[in-house]
Amino acid sequence: MQPAVELNQLSKSFRVRHARGGGVADRVRDLFRRRTETVVAVDRLSFSIAPGERVAFIGPNGAGKSTTLKVLAGILQPDAGDVRVLGLVPSRQRSELAFQIGTVFGQRSQLWYQLPPRDTFELLGRVYEIDRREHRRRIDALSSVFELDTLVDTPVRHLSLGERMRCEIVASLLHSPRMLFLDEPTIGLDVSAKAVIRELLRTESERERVTLLLTSHDTGDMERVCTRVIVIHRGRLLWDGPIAALRRGYLKAKRVTLWSEAEHLELTLPGVRVLSSGAYRTELEVALEITPLGQVVDAALRQAAIRDMAIEDAPLDEVIRALYAHAESRSVPS
Amino acid sequence: MTAAFVAKYAACSRIAAAQARRERGEVYGRVAFFAVILGVFSSLWRAAADAGLPVAADPKALVWYLAATEWILLSVPPIHVDIQEAIRRGDVVYQLGRPMSYVIAELAAGLGLLAVRAPLLGATAFLCAFAFTGWIPPSSALATVVPFGLVAAALITALHLWIGLLAFWLQDVSPVYWVCQKLMFVLGGLMLPLDLYPDFIQRVAAVTPFPSVLAGPASFVLPAPIVTPGELARNLAIWCGVTAFAVWWVFRRAATALTINGG
Repeated sequence: MQPAVELNQLSKSFRVRHARGGGVADRVRDLFRRRTETVVAVDRLSFSIAPGERVAFIGPNGAGKSTTLKVLAGILQPDAGDVRVLGLVPSRQRSELAFQIGTVFGQRSQLWYQLPPRDTFELLGRVYEIDRREHRRRIDALSSVFELDTLVDTPVRHLSLGERMRCEIVASLLHSPRMLFLDEPTIGLDVSAKAVIRELLRTESERERVTLLLTSHDTGDMERVCTRVIVIHRGRLLWDGPIAALRRGYLKAKRVTLWSEAEHLELTLPGVRVLSSGAYRTELEVALEITPLGQVVDAALRQAAIRDMAIEDAPLDEVIRALYAHAESRSVPS
Repeated sequence: MTAAFVAKYAACSRIAAAQARRERGEVYGRVAFFAVILGVFSSLWRAAADAGLPVAADPKALVWYLAATEWILLSVPPIHVDIQEAIRRGDVVYQLGRPMSYVIAELAAGLGLLAVRAPLLGATAFLCAFAFTGWIPPSSALATVVPFGLVAAALITALHLWIGLLAFWLQDVSPVYWVCQKLMFVLGGLMLPLDLYPDFIQRVAAVTPFPSVLAGPASFVLPAPIVTPGELARNLAIWCGVTAFAVWWVFRRAATALTINGG
């Protein structure tokens, strides 16, 4: 089966201008000849995504995520490497590709602010050359799935951020794209609005077999929507695999909470750090490579009876932080 | 040109027109400003004529001339601001990713805004000029001013599109806009017919598009227009071609700058 996205050794650099300094002479010189510096945004990046996959594409700020998305959407031209999206070369077949992909940028808007979303939906119907009857059917169907009800006829300026984002996603799905690029789709939303958006993205992608490539700094987006994660750092691939494997690969510690009969527990084992200690409750971080969980429980039981116990993985945020820290330590010359 | 091609840009015009109908405040502001300007200048021309000062034409015709130039200028939507904001906010990535030409879509949207403003401001111009002068130019003159005025306003809209595209480099295009607007006021003959200007200014003005978009169409209400309809049609066609090339060239450079310098 042809991959939905195929990136082979993609590289992209930008020339960034720099002022010489604050002096008058420097400023005059800047007028005629500016200093430029080449910044590598994406460096020999390779990966492929199968049709229908839901992939989180993450990295710290400036890692090259947005640049990669713009290259994939045909907005930017790559300096080197092969890029194919749905079998098309974005830089040469941008217009053909545009009919088959959708984009959602969390901090941008494609809705006309003073008008109801329906007006933008109608515009997009013409832009994507959709048959009018089919387009109306599609608006109704998606409005029902995304529970837009009366929102579709309410001016955008009166919508909440969560409602607006639901409309933005509907706008991006109207032309039935086979591939959807999402850049921070839940940024700024409250907890319940995030949950709604994540659930809708996951179910719609499954129902319509839309391939998703989602960039986000919110690990909740990755965990609830995606099954695979691609991590980049300084434009290079750092990790590519299932989210569970990322946890396993980088999770060196577990969170253990003990509720004991004794008011306080004194656990001084190597690799065990007390995160918080209250009356009859102790929260620990246990480095499994140093001390197995069993030893910790035994040590606690020697002090008092245990009434209850909870063992959790560290949040994915910490896993990713560890991954970035590991990458940083490797990239710093010794 | 396929029907789908026309339909998508017509849709851009339609939605912009719908938005303009919702943003009544700005248009009503322009209507009020227009009425004040005409009131002030009609009093000025009358006072000048009463004082025996040399006035190039009948003061009533001069008020209608000003009504025509202001109608053209005030009808033009400030699309350079919309484009600048879209580039600053990054919303432009949505538009660039669509299966359509970004510049034609922006121009079509600008013309949609113009289609809402021009009739309203045209009616204001007519009513105010008549109220302040008690005179109406020959219908043949008005029938010439209106179509040329609309083409001129469309050309200025394209010029604003060109200014807006400079935001890919400048971020803030207002200085360029202000310079361009002031040049248009002076070299376009906004307040006074160009034949009242010194010779050297007239010679400079002749090599710019400004007389063709303001003084040219408006002068048909004067007893002696500065151009014939045929000459003006030729001049407007030339400047439309030049502006189209300038817009295409700047956008091409902007797309290159985006891919070289990032965005």
